[in-house]
Amino acid sequence: MSVETAPPLGADFTDPDMAMGLQFIAQERRIRLAHMFQVGLVWLVLVVIFSFALLLMNIDPAYIVDHIDFVLKGVWVTIGVSLASIIIASVLALFGALGRLSGNPIADGISGFYVSVIRGTPLLIQIYIIYLGLPQIGRQLQIAGFQQLGSVFTLSAIQSGILALSLNYGAYMTEIFRAGIQSISHGQREAAAAIGMTRWQMMRRVILPQAVRVIIPDIGNQFIAMQKDSALVSVMGIWEITYRANRLARQESKFMEMFLLAAALYFILTIISTFFQSRLERRLAHAYER
Amino acid sequence: MKKLNVVLPLMLILSMLLVSCQATPTPANDKLGEILSRGTLLISTDPAYPPQSELVENAQRPANTKCTSDQRTAAELHGFDIDVAVEIAKRLGVEPCFTTPDWTLIVAGNWADRWDISVGSMTITPERMENLYFTQPYYTTPAAFFVHNDNTTFTQPSDLSGKKIGACTGCTYDFYVAGTLQIPGETMNYVVTDAAFTGYETDLNALQDLALGDGVRLDAVLTAQPTGAGVISDGLPLKQLGDPVFFEYLAAAVDKASGKDPKPFVEKATELINAMHADGTLLKLSQQYYNLDLTTSAGEFDLSQLKQW
Repeated sequence: MSVETAPPLGADFTDPDMAMGLQFIAQERRIRLAHMFQVGLVWLVLVVIFSFALLLMNIDPAYIVDHIDFVLKGVWVTIGVSLASIIIASVLALFGALGRLSGNPIADGISGFYVSVIRGTPLLIQIYIIYLGLPQIGRQLQIAGFQQLGSVFTLSAIQSGILALSLNYGAYMTEIFRAGIQSISHGQREAAAAIGMTRWQMMRRVILPQAVRVIIPDIGNQFIAMQKDSALVSVMGIWEITYRANRLARQESKFMEMFLLAAALYFILTIISTFFQSRLERRLAHAYER
Repeated sequence: MKKLNVVLPLMLILSMLLVSCQATPTPANDKLGEILSRGTLLISTDPAYPPQSELVENAQRPANTKCTSDQRTAAELHGFDIDVAVEIAKRLGVEPCFTTPDWTLIVAGNWADRWDISVGSMTITPERMENLYFTQPYYTTPAAFFVHNDNTTFTQPSDLSGKKIGACTGCTYDFYVAGTLQIPGETMNYVVTDAAFTGYETDLNALQDLALGDGVRLDAVLTAQPTGAGVISDGLPLKQLGDPVFFEYLAAAVDKASGKDPKPFVEKATELINAMHADGTLLKLSQQYYNLDLTTSAGEFDLSQLKQW
């Protein structure tokens, strides 16, 4: 009775299964390439149709070129407002999510109320209320004798804008953070508890570092959405992209030219953000690559 | 997690305190004193309405300006309203600085002292007087009838009684033809009666219809004198019929809900605007921007009739 052993692998040895597998992989790649080519073709056709539609609009490209500098100055304001807001919104969202998950009825209640009110009202209305309404509360406080506290409520246009965007996005991101934290399996919590970690330690050392990886892509998405929503702060007279484009357009009634320019600038901004977002994602995924 | 309950509100209060680094105590407790001690006059304007107010591209901010970084200097804006505002600031002996909120936020009142005055061609209306104090008007929008060039039978507005008149729907001109218009401080004299009124989306649509021919669709259009003069210079075959029939008075406005007493400032601004009427400064600006005298009747307006105090 002889024991069957695997034949030694040599240079001249060809495994029929292996050949089939390689063939299969090659075929997959061909299909993928063909698909990419087809998608590229569709994009090309769409861009041609789009450009043609723009030509029909009777726009004056020279006007865009002449006035691009003035609108470009607003890009930094848009980026600044969006960055500041996304950072504050992330902090709010972290506390909101911790509140929801704390099991404490007060923290859960505050957080739930905040998310529900903000998500249920339009951002533009929130901007108006913060800009016009808060100072009226402050005025009443000042009349009641709280001078310092009352003046806190009168925010400048840019502060109101950042506060409104932060509050608004903080509410949406609370749910994102909550989902991220909950995605970490229960076993990890039990393990952390078993070695004697407090709840805060567990959060800081075990849960949050892993949750961040889940959360980051969504923060990126929110940041992209925020860059476009920041156009709404123009109603308070902040000279960002939309304000500059809109007010300049009125001088010579070149609305289409200026709106297309603004649209293009927002589009470029989001493409740049997407690029950085995917790099950040890849970096955070290092530990999970094989 | 217990600690968090304390940290959360604390963080919120702290962040609110951090963003509010603008609590500068001022010695004066009235608006005028505050402006003089600050050395700048904060004016709101929405640069969406040329030729009253528009942006200046490639403007250079003066290096020695007292305006803060989120305020605009006079160099960055241009227009009739801007020139009037600059003149008011000059006569107060302070530097003009502009903020540019949306028009809605300006007429809403409750400015929270973010700016001192609106010099924004605001029509004095009873509704706006609830929230705002008005200064002496610095110019007017005269409402005048326009007829087709070919017409020879109409010689004065009262000839239009019973004729086909067009204007914008729901605007002051509509109410004038209907005989229900009320303008604070002005006694209406309805010279046209029993007209067949046609409402339009905007004044321009009505003027286009009138230009089709004398009596084809309309016999006359009631609109703002500068609007009518504008389309005539653009080539429409129209002419103005007689004198303006009423005036909308456009004034600077000050917030009633200001933390500082606004009354001395409103009175001072009125005094300065009256002086600008008297020495011809405003008339010169009106000629420069509109090629019309839109200011003389504003100077004759009796502000005390508004009974603001």
